[in-house]
Amino acid sequence: MASDGEVTEECDRLIPLVDIDPRDERFRITTRRASDDLHLSIGRLGLRVPPLVVPGAAGFIIVSGFRRIAACQGLGWDSIRARVLQKASPYECTLKAIAANSLERPLNLIETSRALRLLDQYAPGGQAPPEHAAALGLPTHAGLAARLKTLCGLPAEVQDAILEETVSFAMACEIGRMEEGLAVDFARLFRQLKTSLNKQREILTLVAEIARREGINPRQVLTEDRLSRLRDAQDLDRNQKTQRIRKLLRQRRFPALVAAEDNFQSLRQRLALGSNLQLVPPRDFEGTRFTLTLNFESVEEVSRLRVKLDELVDHPDFKTLLTGKGRGFGEAPVP
Amino acid sequence: MRVVALYIDAQVADWPETASICSRFDGPIKTVATADEVYADVAAAKDPVRRGKQVLYLTRNKGAYIRQCPGTSHYTCCGYKILHVGTFCTMDCTYCILQSYFHPPVLQYFLNHADLNAELEQLFATRTIHRMGTGEFTDSLIWEPWTGLSEALIRKFAGQDCCALELKTKTTFIDTLLDLPHRRRTILAWSLNTERVIGSEEQGTASLGARLNAAARCAAQGYPLAFHFDPVVINDGCEAEYRRTVERLFAVIAPRHIVWISLGALRFMPDLKAVVQSRFPQSKIVYGEFIAGLDGKMRYFKPLRMKIYRAIAQAIRAHAPDVCLYFCMEDDEVWQDALGFRPADRGGLTRMLDDAAVRQCGLGNGSRLG
Ligand code: SF4
Repeated sequence: MASDGEVTEECDRLIPLVDIDPRDERFRITTRRASDDLHLSIGRLGLRVPPLVVPGAAGFIIVSGFRRIAACQGLGWDSIRARVLQKASPYECTLKAIAANSLERPLNLIETSRALRLLDQYAPGGQAPPEHAAALGLPTHAGLAARLKTLCGLPAEVQDAILEETVSFAMACEIGRMEEGLAVDFARLFRQLKTSLNKQREILTLVAEIARREGINPRQVLTEDRLSRLRDAQDLDRNQKTQRIRKLLRQRRFPALVAAEDNFQSLRQRLALGSNLQLVPPRDFEGTRFTLTLNFESVEEVSRLRVKLDELVDHPDFKTLLTGKGRGFGEAPVP
Repeated sequence: MRVVALYIDAQVADWPETASICSRFDGPIKTVATADEVYADVAAAKDPVRRGKQVLYLTRNKGAYIRQCPGTSHYTCCGYKILHVGTFCTMDCTYCILQSYFHPPVLQYFLNHADLNAELEQLFATRTIHRMGTGEFTDSLIWEPWTGLSEALIRKFAGQDCCALELKTKTTFIDTLLDLPHRRRTILAWSLNTERVIGSEEQGTASLGARLNAAARCAAQGYPLAFHFDPVVINDGCEAEYRRTVERLFAVIAPRHIVWISLGALRFMPDLKAVVQSRFPQSKIVYGEFIAGLDGKMRYFKPLRMKIYRAIAQAIRAHAPDVCLYFCMEDDEVWQDALGFRPADRGGLTRMLDDAAVRQCGLGNGSRLG
């Protein structure tokens, strides 16, 4: 798959480290930066697998082995043994760079994205044959590959959130369609809350719809005072913050519905039903049938519940619960 | 929206009605063996819904012309019948359910009117009271520039005594209808809304003033009228705006001309939301306080519906205490709250509307349905 007929030659050479430019990351696939783990092993055992480099305009360009070279530099070495590609086209270098990573270990989403993008960038004609991607263990489904390719172009904080797995692939694709500042704001929020995809989706939709409804920028919704205070609250853990932020956003998106829920809740509390009697309203107060559940173990308990039910029937708040829907349960009991 | 291309089903290509429509059309005309080519044209467009409004397909109605209105469970339906004369519309309302109803949506006009007439004759022969309309899958009067459909229907209904025809529209295409011998068997109906909703959500429709003027001209010719506050759109300040619309209605139309007025808050199948978001990114209409109704449609949170209904009903009642006022697809709780009674108290919604049709359209000699 490597070529147009010519055989790429490779030779082992001792190269001064100053001749390798570590800032040229055009073939970099790995997202790992730290090389401390390699320090120890290379320091003790030496460089067992030589990095792959290609001659550039001045010195050498790294094709694979970024972390190994960084470790050697960290160890204060002057030179290293490397494999040097001769007469290799950028596309051949790309294939080798990807293979050195993808055939050794599973790539993460950002690495996969980089690999797919690199293939397109250097493929003759601008698009790599799917069989090349397949041979490298990369996804070949066109839609999936297209979405994956966008990931490595996202702002660094979004990529970090993907690598940390606080933002899933699906959510990253949604965030990726937003303008940069907003994408970063969401990535920060989700990294902070570390919440499930469903809750992230809910938050994202609520923010977008509040913004549309109120004719403001979604970033204004995310930076609103009450929301910022919740994010900064020292006395709340992540789950509590998530829950309150969702409630706050729901309140703003569905003010009448949430107010009615709250009013219903406080009226229900005033009924002091106890733990053996549960009153559930129709979903979203749309239907007209309420559900009353009785829990009991003995005849005595049923007897007590009967008394409770009799009290309930005469309770003015109970009537309001059943008839106050048109007013959102918010006003004085219906006479 | 202008129709820019005309497709003709080969089966109707040499019919006189086809020639008549072609003579009134000045764009490209193509005869096709099947609808597939038309669907392909529409589906290939960047905005198939928009394209579907610009391509007219003349064909046959291969199913029934007269259909039962597809009311949904849990909400009170009015027992209406649909006269299925065509599909889709040249106007472009953001909330139009037809955008996601047909796949793909195509402006179709059915020409096998012999079948239509036969079905009508059969229904008339039952001598039972019926109300029916052509405005369910299309706007009733958009066909006027090309066809004589409304005239033919008005004449047809004038010749019998048990069925009322309702032509429901947002246009003002009434000139050809004014002098017809209608015998009050045809009700001309307009959807009404606030100026704001008409301006922002009902592209290509007539203004409120134009609709009301057209209605007044029809009333002057003795036509019974109906008005539909549907969809009622809830937003800040809407109560005052709907009251203003009611004021404007009664400033030009006397209550005695009105057969019925309906109220129906905006409701839609969930998949319409994405269509509206993509076709009308400026519209805020899908960002109201919607919940999933018992029939799966998105509806405004019920207390909000009740509140706006109370306000509009009160305004209407102040001008027309006796007019037949009803809700389209609401439950007893809403009826009781906004109007103070449930349909069952008055024999059911079907009965209420049949009575109104009998009274206002002079229907008679017929026995009631159900
Ligand atoms: S006038 Fe009626 S049929 Fe036409 S687009 Fe508007 S809602 Fe749809």
